[in-house]
Amino acid sequence: MPSPSRCCGPLLPGLERPNRRVLANGAELVSLDLAEAPLVCLDFWCRAGSVFETGSESGMAHFLEHMVFKGSHSLAAGEFDRRIEALGGSSNAATGFDDVHYHVLIPPQAAPEALELLLDLVLEPRLEEDAFAMERQVVLEELAQSEDQPEEVAVQHLLAMACPGHAYGLPILGRREALHAHQPEAMAAFHRRLYGGGRCVVALAGALAGTDLEARAAEGSLASLAPLDGSPPLEPLRVKPGEGRLELPRLEAARLLMAWGQPPARDLRGVMGGDLATSLLAEGRRSRLVARLREQLQLVESVDLDLHPMECGSLALLEAVCDPEDLPAVRATIQTVWEEVMAEPVQAAEWSRVRRLVTNSYRFGMEAPGNVAGLIGTGHLWGRYGSLEAPLEAIDTWDPETLRAEALASLDPRRAAVLEAVPA
Amino acid sequence: MSSSNPYPVTSFSLSGGLPVIARSRPGPEILAARLVIRGGSGADPQYRRGAHQLLAGTMTRGCGQLDADALADLVEGAGAALRAEAHEDSLVLGLKCAATDTPDLLPLLLAMVRRPLLAPDQVAIERQLNLQTLQRQKEDPYQLAHDQLLRLLYGEGPYGHDPLGVEGDLEAISTDLLAELAAGLGRQGAVLVLSGTLPNNLQALLESSLEGHPWPTHQPMASPAEEPTNPDQGLSASPAGDLMALEQDTEQLVLMLGCPTVPLGHPDALPLRLLQTHLGLGMSSRLFVVMREERGLAYDVGVSLPARCGAAPFVMHLSTSADRAEEATACLLEEWQRLLEEPLDSAALELARAKYIGQDAMGRQTCAQIAERLALVLSHGLPSDHVERCLARAADLDGAALQQAARRWLPQASLSLVGPASALAPATAAWQAAGGIDLSRSRSLA
Repeated sequence: MPSPSRCCGPLLPGLERPNRRVLANGAELVSLDLAEAPLVCLDFWCRAGSVFETGSESGMAHFLEHMVFKGSHSLAAGEFDRRIEALGGSSNAATGFDDVHYHVLIPPQAAPEALELLLDLVLEPRLEEDAFAMERQVVLEELAQSEDQPEEVAVQHLLAMACPGHAYGLPILGRREALHAHQPEAMAAFHRRLYGGGRCVVALAGALAGTDLEARAAEGSLASLAPLDGSPPLEPLRVKPGEGRLELPRLEAARLLMAWGQPPARDLRGVMGGDLATSLLAEGRRSRLVARLREQLQLVESVDLDLHPMECGSLALLEAVCDPEDLPAVRATIQTVWEEVMAEPVQAAEWSRVRRLVTNSYRFGMEAPGNVAGLIGTGHLWGRYGSLEAPLEAIDTWDPETLRAEALASLDPRRAAVLEAVPA
Repeated sequence: MSSSNPYPVTSFSLSGGLPVIARSRPGPEILAARLVIRGGSGADPQYRRGAHQLLAGTMTRGCGQLDADALADLVEGAGAALRAEAHEDSLVLGLKCAATDTPDLLPLLLAMVRRPLLAPDQVAIERQLNLQTLQRQKEDPYQLAHDQLLRLLYGEGPYGHDPLGVEGDLEAISTDLLAELAAGLGRQGAVLVLSGTLPNNLQALLESSLEGHPWPTHQPMASPAEEPTNPDQGLSASPAGDLMALEQDTEQLVLMLGCPTVPLGHPDALPLRLLQTHLGLGMSSRLFVVMREERGLAYDVGVSLPARCGAAPFVMHLSTSADRAEEATACLLEEWQRLLEEPLDSAALELARAKYIGQDAMGRQTCAQIAERLALVLSHGLPSDHVERCLARAADLDGAALQQAARRWLPQASLSLVGPASALAPATAAWQAAGGIDLSRSRSLA
């Protein structure tokens, strides 16, 4: 039965607390069995995002993620992809500001072999000169492709404005000149410095019953990693309020972009408060901003506001798409709507609505092994060992009044970095 | 039913004929439902392109006793997701909710179809939003290249436009037309698929939401077999056909090379799917290895072959820097030609089969995916075990069979280019050198 404090039923039946195991060198394993899943997700996480780059290493974290797939000491270039896909699996990787992860989705019977391949690949990259030069071209193409999307250019500009002097204000893909200058030796040093025990977690989620994946992972190359610790504390993010305007060629509609500083990811209560507040303002047609700006005044094509949890400090990012001449009205309306929210208590129906939106969106994410591995992997990587229910329990610590006084108050438009991007 | 799903399956028909298939699935207590109604943007009336998407969008803006606000309050108040959109061959309505909310929300799917309000002010909002989205999409060079390719491949035909429509047409669509289209929904068949935690009284719940007015519809039927584009299978000197180019001040050139092929239910759809898998699926795929790993020509490269009731487009795509435009064009064309001239060797074929089988499991991770995949094959008039049959048949197809299918359906491709003038010129030259025809040039002369 649902506990009385909850607004919805038990959507997470039978999910245990994830299993955790720490190896002698500090490397961690975390796993969760999902009996109904047709696949297993193997997800290697490492604290090696762009925030750990020095000035001359711009783009190195992401470039290394590409180079990892160019082969390791025991795997030839392309061999990993071929073998994983021949086993019916697929793989990919992503580099963020804080961390990088490499993941494989694979049928359970092939998971042990895939795990061995994944760890070999990630922990001992070859970084050969010819492959390095070739992959640099690919990364430069990726950069060019992103620069051809004016919206991505605008968001990058906003981050630079909002996070001056912080790695979150710099592009993960790197600066073009820096990419041209990178060398394999410097990348190898970057890898040695960051890819070690104490900085990495292997997350396993899916149909694990009957596999001995954990034991295998504990014995292989993961255990032979050099222990690393004592990483310098991350620099807290302070979002700088301010205003900017940018003219962009090929932009067809104006964008109003806003960024607010929010509690860091380790502050689970704060993050869930941010989710509740952003949902109240902009999730669904009946949310405050969508109802006013899009449905009632018809000033915008869309307005989105999302919380991006990050280790140095999270960001709430708003994007409104509108005609350039409507930008002043859109901004004034956002200010008015926020003042209205702050002036009146949140009513019961609206409070119930945002709680259900946030809890269901979290629970709906519990079906796919990839999502679950990502959730437990990134949590354990950064020292958060709570149960899967912890975010839901954190929601229950909020009430309409504290939400208004803390989470909604922190979204004061006057505290945001604001960028108007208009067609050139 | 199939061995991949050991859980109970219920099926029945509602009064009027709608087939309902419900697959119970343990795990999170969620229900996913998908209602697919044949007749989508491909059935937009002439000069009214975008009508089905406008209808679908407006269906979420009020039905039965609920006006737009009341409907949104009900759905969002339950933290659920309810969508309706036009695809090329069908209108698709999807619901995902906590199982406890099923009794309140599931009836909405049928109410939206059978009793949409189509209030003029809501039609106006939806139309305006679609116009704005069409405008904004022009920022994306991939979208521009794709729209141009659709015109090249299908012209004024059913698949010649984006489901969102065309600006001039959208403005001319009346509420009366939407009402007329809504009244005809189901004539070409429809199917409802549910997956997840099912309610006990499913049939009664759905039946009562018809409110005593049966919905006349039926199980969708399979498309008639198509004639091969190249029945004699003779090879021309080059697969290069027509080209259209659009100048944009971008860094990269986007290339899309494609041709129309067969419906999902056609016997050649499977060999073509295996060729797509070989060429474009995953990091071991032929195009990824040749164009990205060996030449560093692109970051994004792939092949698409969407499931269609008619001639589905088989499309290779990539984007590359202006100074590599000629090499990329020649290389894409070479890879197309290779499909026609060389059978896949056994290792490549084995890998393609393994990836094809792997894809099936990837698509069964969530209730919504399970409902989506089953609804797709049923909406094409195919049996519910269509995928299992294909998986079994794939084992018997050899390289020669794949090559024959390529020769029947991929004899000639059209090329859509979007990028800076400095890239269009060398890419066009490479195309013409291979015997292709530049339509953008002949058009501007005309």
